[in-house]
Amino acid sequence: MEEFFQQLTNGLAVGGIYALIALGYTMVYGVLKLINFAHGDLFTIGAFLGLTLLTSLGLTDSIGPVAGLLVLAVMVVILVGVVGFLLERIAYRPLRSSPRLSAVVSALGASIFFQNAIMLIWGARPLVYPHGLLPNVTVNVFGAELPLIRILMFVISVLLMCGLYYLTHKTRIGTAIRAAAIDQGAAKLMGIDVNRVISLVFMIGPALGGAAGVMVGLYYGQINFTMGWLYGLKAFTAAILGGIGNIPGAMLGGLLLGVVESLGAAYISIAWKDAISFLVLILILIVRPTGLLGERVADKV
Amino acid sequence: MKRFMRVLALGLVASLLLSSAALAADTIKIGLQAPLTGKYASEGLDMKNLVEILAAKVNADGGVKGKKIEIIAEDDAFDPKTAALAAQRLVTSGVVAVIGTYGSSITEAAQDIYDEEDVIQIATGSTMVRLTEKGLENFFRTCPRDDSQGAAAAQVLKDRGYKRIAILHDNSSYAKGLADETRKRLDDNSVVFFDALNPGEQDYNTILTKIKGFNPDVIFFTGYFNEAGLLLRQKKEMKWDVAMMGGDATNNLDLVKIAGNDAAKGFFFVSPPGVNDLTSPFAKEVLDTYKAKYNSLPASIWSVFAGDAFLAIVEALRQTDSTDPEVLSEYLRNKMDNYPGLTGSIAFDNKGDRAGKFYRVSEVNADGEFVMLP
Repeated sequence: MEEFFQQLTNGLAVGGIYALIALGYTMVYGVLKLINFAHGDLFTIGAFLGLTLLTSLGLTDSIGPVAGLLVLAVMVVILVGVVGFLLERIAYRPLRSSPRLSAVVSALGASIFFQNAIMLIWGARPLVYPHGLLPNVTVNVFGAELPLIRILMFVISVLLMCGLYYLTHKTRIGTAIRAAAIDQGAAKLMGIDVNRVISLVFMIGPALGGAAGVMVGLYYGQINFTMGWLYGLKAFTAAILGGIGNIPGAMLGGLLLGVVESLGAAYISIAWKDAISFLVLILILIVRPTGLLGERVADKV
Repeated sequence: MKRFMRVLALGLVASLLLSSAALAADTIKIGLQAPLTGKYASEGLDMKNLVEILAAKVNADGGVKGKKIEIIAEDDAFDPKTAALAAQRLVTSGVVAVIGTYGSSITEAAQDIYDEEDVIQIATGSTMVRLTEKGLENFFRTCPRDDSQGAAAAQVLKDRGYKRIAILHDNSSYAKGLADETRKRLDDNSVVFFDALNPGEQDYNTILTKIKGFNPDVIFFTGYFNEAGLLLRQKKEMKWDVAMMGGDATNNLDLVKIAGNDAAKGFFFVSPPGVNDLTSPFAKEVLDTYKAKYNSLPASIWSVFAGDAFLAIVEALRQTDSTDPEVLSEYLRNKMDNYPGLTGSIAFDNKGDRAGKFYRVSEVNADGEFVMLP
């Protein structure tokens, strides 16, 4: 029982990261019907920018570790948001009226570009966040020893997701985003600046990915230029699992994927971990082709 | 005049023939087959440089029973077809033995040619298992073979008295091979866990939690330094201080960088010695000469094996006072006993594989450095 609980929390911690990245995929898909394959690399950029800012500015020394990391995270989120904005302007906007396949190819190209750019700027060897930034404190929850950082990571992921949900469902700009997602033409007629909405979506999605990148870097320590690929793939899977285009779906899909992976590895086989999670994905898609919460996607596609 | 010219020409040819015959009587030819061009040219050139330094040293000391050693180098370009041609050329040039070569498939292309012509071959970088499983009388190698690391790892685990061993690989053919070879040599009851992780991931808490459930006293991870570093780090975070061992793919200081000194401390791995680990006085002297001449050390341990092959051949020639391949082969196989070479002591087993302890254990100390244990 104790081991089960430990594995469940292991899964939730990884799932929280998947969910944060999945939100970027799902938001862009919801509005543009485009799978932004470069999203995983924006996550990597977040991790690398975080490391560079951390070591060059020394914020954790000058204003204390907690405030320092917070400021750092905000800076990375803004910077990655800007990169996302530029990505949309340069790689996607010129192709807006072209066939959807052209945009997908452009997305793949952007992904390759980012990955190689990261390698050229920061090098091909894995980089390491400084040790001892985060205290190694464990909390005893129901008999399982949980590192405090894991819990914090999970809480921050959930808070960011809730914030996003609030933004899209309770605010004016959120209403505009959802309107653009349902029908761009009609949204334009209602006086919504669809281009601005799309730019905004391309800033929020990557920003969340960047936040995930910093968290991964801070917690796991090691970052490398290819890490976005695997995380991107998993997060993309999570987005589909929850119903792509649906924000609560991405959160649910991410957490579920993390937990299925973890429990599959724990109780069936570690080597078959990914096979098990993809089997679950297939089974869910057979029963619910639109994903767990993706009811409205069917008529969109 | 015409006639005079003919006589002169004949005389010249005769004197040339005579002198080369006289020269041939004074020298013993040893062939070197190495990739002197192509993708692995740097390895091949290191091999050639090192063998030539050693040959010069032997010749300066009076050669072998008064005869000078002559090295004949042929390029195999790391290509099987070129290798077959190189082997033909070496065989016809009258060498008693051949050193080389670097790649396994390249060695395989030349192996039969040497064997048919009764020339001793000592391979230097060819680790493929089946090369010595063919029962060739004249084939030896100074490098370890692919499955010997597993044997070494199993021995270390036994020597350290571990009773509950968890073996973890990463499904790459290298790491899985090492894991399989190690498990084969361990008592079935002592391997409590055997599975693979997914390389390239960041979070191995799930796997560690699972392994912890089997309560092992050591984890043997056969994969690469990246994952090993993360495993150490996350193991430390779980406050689980089980011993952890790695294979030679963890021989990279980035491991300590990723894990942090605290978490990496006590981690140990089996690995062949690197060029910098060759600290015997003889190896030091030879490598210093090398460095003085070429401004750098050989880039990898593989070229140093060529030096060992040369030393083994010279020692066999000296001890047997013969150039008969049958006598030499018999000496190398059965009589050569821990002759001091560059990478350690040289001896061969019945199959022609390098015998004796070659793999070394290194441990991470408190300062995050790799320390090779005696």
